[in-house]
Amino acid sequence: MDATTVIAVICSVVVFAGWLVLPHSATTAKQVALSEERNPVAISA
Amino acid sequence: MKIDSGDTAWVLASAALVMLMTPALGFFYGGLVRRKNVLSTIMHSFFILCLISVQWVLWGYSLAFGPDKFHIIGGLEWVGLNNVGFTPNADYAPTIPHQAYMVFQMMFAVITPALISGAFAERQRFKAFVLFSLLWATFVYDPIAHWVWGAGGWLHNLGALDFAGGTVVHISSGVSALVAALVLGRRLGFGKQKAEPHDATMTVLGAALLWFGWFGFNAGSALGAGALATSAFVVTNTATAMAALTWMTVSWWHKKQPSVIGAAAGAVAGLVAITPASGFVNVMGAIVIGFGAGVFCYLAIQLRERIHVDDALDVWAVHGIGGTWGALATGLFATIAINSAAANGLFYGNPKQVLIQLVAIGAAWGWSIVGTFVILKVVNLFVPLRVQEDEEILGLDLSQHGEPAYASINAN
Repeated sequence: MDATTVIAVICSVVVFAGWLVLPHSATTAKQVALSEERNPVAISA
Repeated sequence: MKIDSGDTAWVLASAALVMLMTPALGFFYGGLVRRKNVLSTIMHSFFILCLISVQWVLWGYSLAFGPDKFHIIGGLEWVGLNNVGFTPNADYAPTIPHQAYMVFQMMFAVITPALISGAFAERQRFKAFVLFSLLWATFVYDPIAHWVWGAGGWLHNLGALDFAGGTVVHISSGVSALVAALVLGRRLGFGKQKAEPHDATMTVLGAALLWFGWFGFNAGSALGAGALATSAFVVTNTATAMAALTWMTVSWWHKKQPSVIGAAAGAVAGLVAITPASGFVNVMGAIVIGFGAGVFCYLAIQLRERIHVDDALDVWAVHGIGGTWGALATGLFATIAINSAAANGLFYGNPKQVLIQLVAIGAAWGWSIVGTFVILKVVNLFVPLRVQEDEEILGLDLSQHGEPAYASINAN
């Protein structure tokens, strides 16, 4: 196994293992205002 | 020299793939700006596709690839595509018509100034943008392309490795973007009001189309349909995916949530970083390059925010830093097992290649800084670079083009 492969494996392990310790949901729930919601569009036949 | 139909088909198809990247960039950038500026942002890319397509056949190709003058610029012998016909050119691509090589290179020249437009989005006057783009392509892009890729160019002679444009395309555009952002100044309300992306879906679609087109950019740079193109295709996809995963993970750790726009930006950073290396590194090298792109480009954005530079769409962080990392990594991970016509990098016993890459990086940074600064100042003598305050508040779609992007929704 050459040096490039060793470094690549370490990089991959860092990323994949990182997911184990990351939060699986938002730490704070935010109320998001639906300010952008638009009125329904009338579709005529 | 005999024309190879397979090679020709692949290069022409690749040129079409790379052409698609420029409007794709327009959508990537367009989603990131506010609703009132989306059309003007898309127009930057679309207009440059037209502008440089004409500039390139008139004089751009000749300056970049024409007969060498003093190792710094091509001559004017190929102006108007004079002497650029259908017979292959042995210096550049011996198995395809010379015009096939020319049009493939044209698409690189097109997208490079379009990349810069992300830095001055939402505030640059369209007329100034037109003049700047034409001058920049002529006096910054064309010389750097000649140094690195032109027969007789001084960086080419030195042995600098840049398979598909890490130095020529990404360092030049990314560094120029930083200069442009500094010269133009910050947008109104920068740091006080958050300029939220108006359509993240458009940005992700743009990133996906960029990814698709990038196979032409990198694998097409093999200039033939064979093993080297296949290798470039595989490492491009691998580095891109790794960079997207890395960026998303870093941003998840930093901001507590996995960002969709972050994943898209990470993919673009990976595409940028693998570009100079794509014809020289193996798939393990691509993983390291993708990882580095995700980390370094993300950190560059944090730095850019900390020093309050309004590079609106982070062109410097993604293209300047991503391109620099890719060019340096080429000097680390290049191996003649992939490309026997090139050179080994540091990890394969050739530390000298790192020094050569650093010279190329320094030259591209230096010329981009000086050239862009001078061009912006010259343009500003004739046309103000920025729109007026009321025009900026109204939005560039209406103030510069007289057209709203979304007729039924109030601009904001």
